[in-house]
Amino acid sequence: MKALFDFMDKNIAPLFEKGGKFERLYPLWEAGDTFNRTPGDVTPSAPHVRDSIDQKRLMIFVIYALIPCILFGIWNAGNQFNLANGIEATFGADMARGALMVLPIIFVSYAVGGIWEVLFAVIRRHEINEGFLVTGMLFPLTLAPTIPLWQVAVGISFGIVIGKEIFGGVGYNILNPALTARAFLFFAYPAQISGDKVWVGSLAESPSIVNSILGHSGEYVDGVTQATPLAVAAAAKGSGMAAVDALNHAGYTIQNLTVGNIPGSIGSTSAIAVLIGMGFLILTGIASWRVMLSGILGCGLMGLLFNVLPLDNEFAALPYYYHIAMGGFLFGIVFMATDPVSASATNTGKFIYGFLIGALTVLIRVANPAYPEGAMLAILFMNVMAPLVDHFVVQGHIKKRTAYARALNNA
Amino acid sequence: MANFKIKKGFDVKVVGKPSANIEEYASQQLFTVYPSEFEGLKLRLKVKAGDTVKRGDVLFENKKNEKMVFRSPCAGTVKAINLGARRFPVEIQIEKDPQSQDRVTFETYTRDSVGQLSREQVADHLLNTGVWPLIKQRPFNKMADPDTAPKAVFINACNSAPFQADFSVVLKGDEEAFQTGINALAKLTEGKVHLCKSAGSDVPDFKNAESHTFAGKHPSGNTSVHINRISPILPHDTVYTVSAQDVILIGKTLLTGELPKTKIIALAGPAVKEEFRKYYKVEIAASLESLLNKAIEGDEVRLINGNILWGDKLKADTCVPFYGSEIFALEEDRSRHLMGWTMPGLFQYSAHRVNVSSFFGFSHDWKLGTSLHGSHRAMVVTGWLDKFQPLNIMTDFLMRAALAHDTDEMIQLGILETDPEDFALASFVDPHKTDICGIIKRGLEEIEEEGI
Repeated sequence: MKALFDFMDKNIAPLFEKGGKFERLYPLWEAGDTFNRTPGDVTPSAPHVRDSIDQKRLMIFVIYALIPCILFGIWNAGNQFNLANGIEATFGADMARGALMVLPIIFVSYAVGGIWEVLFAVIRRHEINEGFLVTGMLFPLTLAPTIPLWQVAVGISFGIVIGKEIFGGVGYNILNPALTARAFLFFAYPAQISGDKVWVGSLAESPSIVNSILGHSGEYVDGVTQATPLAVAAAAKGSGMAAVDALNHAGYTIQNLTVGNIPGSIGSTSAIAVLIGMGFLILTGIASWRVMLSGILGCGLMGLLFNVLPLDNEFAALPYYYHIAMGGFLFGIVFMATDPVSASATNTGKFIYGFLIGALTVLIRVANPAYPEGAMLAILFMNVMAPLVDHFVVQGHIKKRTAYARALNNA
Repeated sequence: MANFKIKKGFDVKVVGKPSANIEEYASQQLFTVYPSEFEGLKLRLKVKAGDTVKRGDVLFENKKNEKMVFRSPCAGTVKAINLGARRFPVEIQIEKDPQSQDRVTFETYTRDSVGQLSREQVADHLLNTGVWPLIKQRPFNKMADPDTAPKAVFINACNSAPFQADFSVVLKGDEEAFQTGINALAKLTEGKVHLCKSAGSDVPDFKNAESHTFAGKHPSGNTSVHINRISPILPHDTVYTVSAQDVILIGKTLLTGELPKTKIIALAGPAVKEEFRKYYKVEIAASLESLLNKAIEGDEVRLINGNILWGDKLKADTCVPFYGSEIFALEEDRSRHLMGWTMPGLFQYSAHRVNVSSFFGFSHDWKLGTSLHGSHRAMVVTGWLDKFQPLNIMTDFLMRAALAHDTDEMIQLGILETDPEDFALASFVDPHKTDICGIIKRGLEEIEEEGI
């Protein structure tokens, strides 16, 4: 190992450094080199010691927090598919089918996103930022398992180029790039990411090569229709049937909403998997607990408020815990809303920002006739509003500072 | 009299604590004065290489204020004047003549007769003897301007940073000089002199000064914290700040009528051999080379005038600096760790909860080095920088204002109350490895140029 590294330092590194043959590709070399080993740089000035944390560790911890969601998403995608298509749903068969559905999506997202990231780093001559590792993983987890791969490529391109790079790259974007990518697909190709036909997939529509690898054949079901809980609840509006009953009637109880063995976006069906990730993020202090806590509070309180308001809307009477467990809300508040770049930067602002995301999610779900899912739109809206929230917090801070100083000086 | 408890803070646990005894460090031949220590000084040289000087002869003066002079620390011959960038003399080397007792003497005062003087007389005397530059002023932390009367004087006798000398050790036997120094400083201000001590230290109270104690982790001993809690700086305010040991030097100058000869420095840090980690009584501006040669171990060592969080790098053949009372040595750590981003981190030091060591086995002292532990990246996370910031400052926003050259915003966000050293802990915990202290420093310089 050491011999190999010495060889690289001596013979390969100079090619990429100033004056080397591939000097323009330095960001690529730097990314690979520091992936293998921490850089050997020393502190240029005071403070002379630094904490051992760096951006790589920070971002990889978010990926670690996502692992329960990824694994559960893979199993769930395969499980839903097998159940609907009359294939024996053993654990192995579920994982195999799920892996062949989900892994290509993740792969395309990383490959295409990575190409954009490297391209911009080389042209703009800045470092390749590890933030894209998180974007490239979050985005696939918000998609339907049957999404066409070309749409994944188009979506991640939009998210990275329009959502992030035109603002100046990592740290400058005003919207969460992963969610921007999903919103783009949602409005550009609604047929493949919303409705009743995209969550499960059928043998007839899945690639024949995948079917032959898994040895699946036989009765081809034409298109499996399976409404998501949010669609069921939204459909209950004006039907005269209570939303809870409509959900339970469709087989959605609070138990399986929490466990997550239901159709939905790949990573966001299971509340338990998200909560494990949330625990990890809070334990390590990587993501802001303020956003998560106030978001869940906002969602619950808004649900309760709708319960007591005299509205002629069956969805409004749904208990608050359904709102928290349903759809992409938990996944969104834990992994999307806490994106530190597009969230509020002040501590007080984080409480306000998170709370409003939770409240807006429920408001959109209950009151909006067009979209059953509100979390995505609520987070994007609050991304845009975050600087405004910060502005007021900072103004308040300035007022308090001056008042404090004047009071002490006059004492 | 007030006791403050500073809640936010972080103590960097590093090995190399000096023991509490003071050793005399034998006299040296070579003395060096570093004019570059006096930030922003435009100087006029009064000597040239080959000149014979007495102890206390003027070496150079301030072009902008000719009353402010800088005097020779020893009697001997000017050996060399080394010029740096833009022909600025960065070093004035003097070869000491051991036989010579030639020295310049000034008027002497007693502890109480200082109190009879006017402000102008005290200021002129301190300027003339060359100890005035020991007094700094805020905002901008520069040499005090003798013509502006400050609203208060802050004496810092705290030791919250790693291995700052415990002032009670330094004070022993010099109480009279300390009191005289306080009396002189009290003359310079219309307000009060505030003596800020660490909680639990054995420093007694003194007349003419209001004592305060500060408890809590570092940076509870930083002057900015004291000012913020006692008498915050508003725009157009000025306060003087002096470190406690320098008050003794000022007092001695007044009592003896000649330049003080010695001061006490601590030698500490992981790269100092165990038996050399202690306090030394050294001659001001004397060469430290022979001591450091004996005391330092390691292949590549960084010497710092100050501590691991805040201080300038020193050369290996350095002489005792004019400012500061501690020399810290640690190894340059250029080691590279395999896949550092995912290793459990059993032996990595972090203030965050991201290593196994953050949960277990964190409490012992660590042998830290100068590794950056990563490379520079765009700023992503927010709110981490204020984790250990006791000042009411929004570091994220202040930094952005400084990067955007928005002086009004900087002032509103309280940059005048700070000094780059207050952001040392923020830089320490920053995962993006941004040069926060440098950004703040440039922001302060801009404001100073433009005027408030």
